[in-house]
Amino acid sequence: MDGPVRPRLVSVSDFQFGAVATETIEDALLHLAQQNEQAVQEAVGRMGSFRETRIVEFVFLLSEQWCLEKSVSYQAVEILERFMVKQAENMCRQATLQLRDNEKIAPQNWRALKEQLFNKFILRLVSCVQLASKLSFHYKIIGNATVLNFLQALGYQYTKEELLESELDVLKSLNFQINLPTPLAYVEMLLEVLGYNGCLVPATQLHATCLTLLDLVYLLHEPIYESLLRASIENSTPSQLQGEKFTSVKEDFMLLAVGIIAASAFIQNHECWRQVVGHLQSITGIALGSIAEFSYAILTHSLA
Amino acid sequence: MDPRGPAPQPFQQPEKLGRVRRRKTRRERNEALVGSRRPASRQDPPVASREPDVTRQKPPVALRNPVAPAAPKLVVITQSRLSREHWGLFSHEVKSLDVARLLSSRVLEPGTPPLPTRPSPSLESTQEPAPQSRGKENQLPGGSGPGPPSPPELPGMGQLLQELQCHLILPQAFPRRNLVQEARDTIVGTLQACHGCVPDLALVLRDCQPPLPGTKPRDPEGRRMTPSWINSPEQAPGEGQQRRRRGAKELNFNMGHASSTPTAHRASLAPPRGPWPPPLPSLPSPSGATWSPPTAFDLLKSIWLVATPPPPRPPPPPRGIGPPQPLPQPPSPLLCRTSALDWSPSPPASLPSLSWVVAQSSPEAWSFPPMRLY
Repeated sequence: MDGPVRPRLVSVSDFQFGAVATETIEDALLHLAQQNEQAVQEAVGRMGSFRETRIVEFVFLLSEQWCLEKSVSYQAVEILERFMVKQAENMCRQATLQLRDNEKIAPQNWRALKEQLFNKFILRLVSCVQLASKLSFHYKIIGNATVLNFLQALGYQYTKEELLESELDVLKSLNFQINLPTPLAYVEMLLEVLGYNGCLVPATQLHATCLTLLDLVYLLHEPIYESLLRASIENSTPSQLQGEKFTSVKEDFMLLAVGIIAASAFIQNHECWRQVVGHLQSITGIALGSIAEFSYAILTHSLA
Repeated sequence: MDPRGPAPQPFQQPEKLGRVRRRKTRRERNEALVGSRRPASRQDPPVASREPDVTRQKPPVALRNPVAPAAPKLVVITQSRLSREHWGLFSHEVKSLDVARLLSSRVLEPGTPPLPTRPSPSLESTQEPAPQSRGKENQLPGGSGPGPPSPPELPGMGQLLQELQCHLILPQAFPRRNLVQEARDTIVGTLQACHGCVPDLALVLRDCQPPLPGTKPRDPEGRRMTPSWINSPEQAPGEGQQRRRRGAKELNFNMGHASSTPTAHRASLAPPRGPWPPPLPSLPSPSGATWSPPTAFDLLKSIWLVATPPPPRPPPPPRGIGPPQPLPQPPSPLLCRTSALDWSPSPPASLPSLSWVVAQSSPEAWSFPPMRLY
């Protein structure tokens, strides 16, 4: 298979802040805030997540090899995570039903279902990346031949039909709602607003560091949020219930975005850090303490 | 596609050139065949009935309902195609959506819309009934979407996910790559380039102390307004200059809840004058009685770090009329805390939070302040 190809990602200079009308930014920010609010509310009761470092890294590296945008790789992780959570739900549901019907067969079926999930995981993963690429620019869509070549190089002999069926399975499982929000949209929107509000650190400068930090947060999702949870309960051991309640915090992309930008500002220019954080607080209404705690957690794991 | 195809016609008479009598002859022969040779219950279609049956007036014999012969003029356009081998896009055999229904003894309504003659494989799989797909990996639960899973009584779903994550074997597709380390190296490199050293991270928490340390560690009202130092020229030297240079409008977005009440139309860069804390425009509370922290994170901290939930608060009097009421405030993480508690009220997100105000329909209740021109 091809060696690791260096990314042809969008360079910082390709981004242009301050080019959009303020009314548009207002509308977009309002929309993001509403979307975020809904996501936080819906996260209540959600059990478990599927963001392990190796898996996220695989998605990122695959996206890099296929020259996909950063936003695509984040979206692929989001799609994969939701799909796997849905799969686990379905497995548990089926297992419960089977246990009710026949207690002897249930464990065998449970093992078989897990085995099936393991066996098809790579296929699902590439399907999620492929689907995410289709949500991006049409000229960067990853074709079936590319995917099959990649799988073949890894020793998987999937056919085109199986690939298409896998894609359809993901779509059906998520009810065809795969255009999921990513924290990058929040980061970029807040940077845009910061630029308008006269932030001392240039938005383009912050943007590059934000991308690196966002990668890190995705890669170290569990450890970073674990640190945040521990900080919020004064470093004691969190209970299971506390962990479950904290799921809504994990889905708060606005909080994540301000934490990322604040950490980025600290890295770039910590003399102006307070100004940036003040702006972020003014824009989002998130408390200074929360912004500081989140950025501290990110920075701690960035320099570990 | 010519449905008749080059199938051999065993009973075909030698035809004279220029005379087409074949169709009539075949129909007669078919009727004779069905009537004389085949029993009524047999469902194999006649060989010669492979042509399109849309124009036929008589119902196909194979689909006639022996029990209910009351629909003699039924036309089923899929007749005699369902038992043939049709090879679809991906070399799958194309089958009808519901062959059993067609062949069953149910009486078809005369107005029944004709079934698609060439259903796609994807349609087939979409319409697959649930019992048949049991055991498959992707059994779609009814009504479930990609959103939050319905609060499941599923045992050990979190553990299952953890187990899956731990036991997954990923192929070594990208050897010698470690993105975590690469990102860390990038961060350290940026820090070295910008500062020449790695700064003390404790500054992050220290700098987030309130502007006037020593007076009030964290004033409740302090969160409910734009920090004064934002507009202070001393705190942000060059900010005004930059704004003037930009000549751009400022977005004084305040997306949050009551805490970030719009401080719009700040006429100048000077710190706000007048009574402190400045009057806050009245902002309707969702319940009219409670105040909540802006984010789920703040809310959870307030729950876990204090012994009691935020007490209900009567509707605040109009600001500026009475003395300012201290608002319940989640304690600062930097302050002395009580021990962590596991007290959990009903779902935290059901309480108003960050974007509750955003979600309000009334534009008067909350709106983005207009831009500011410098």
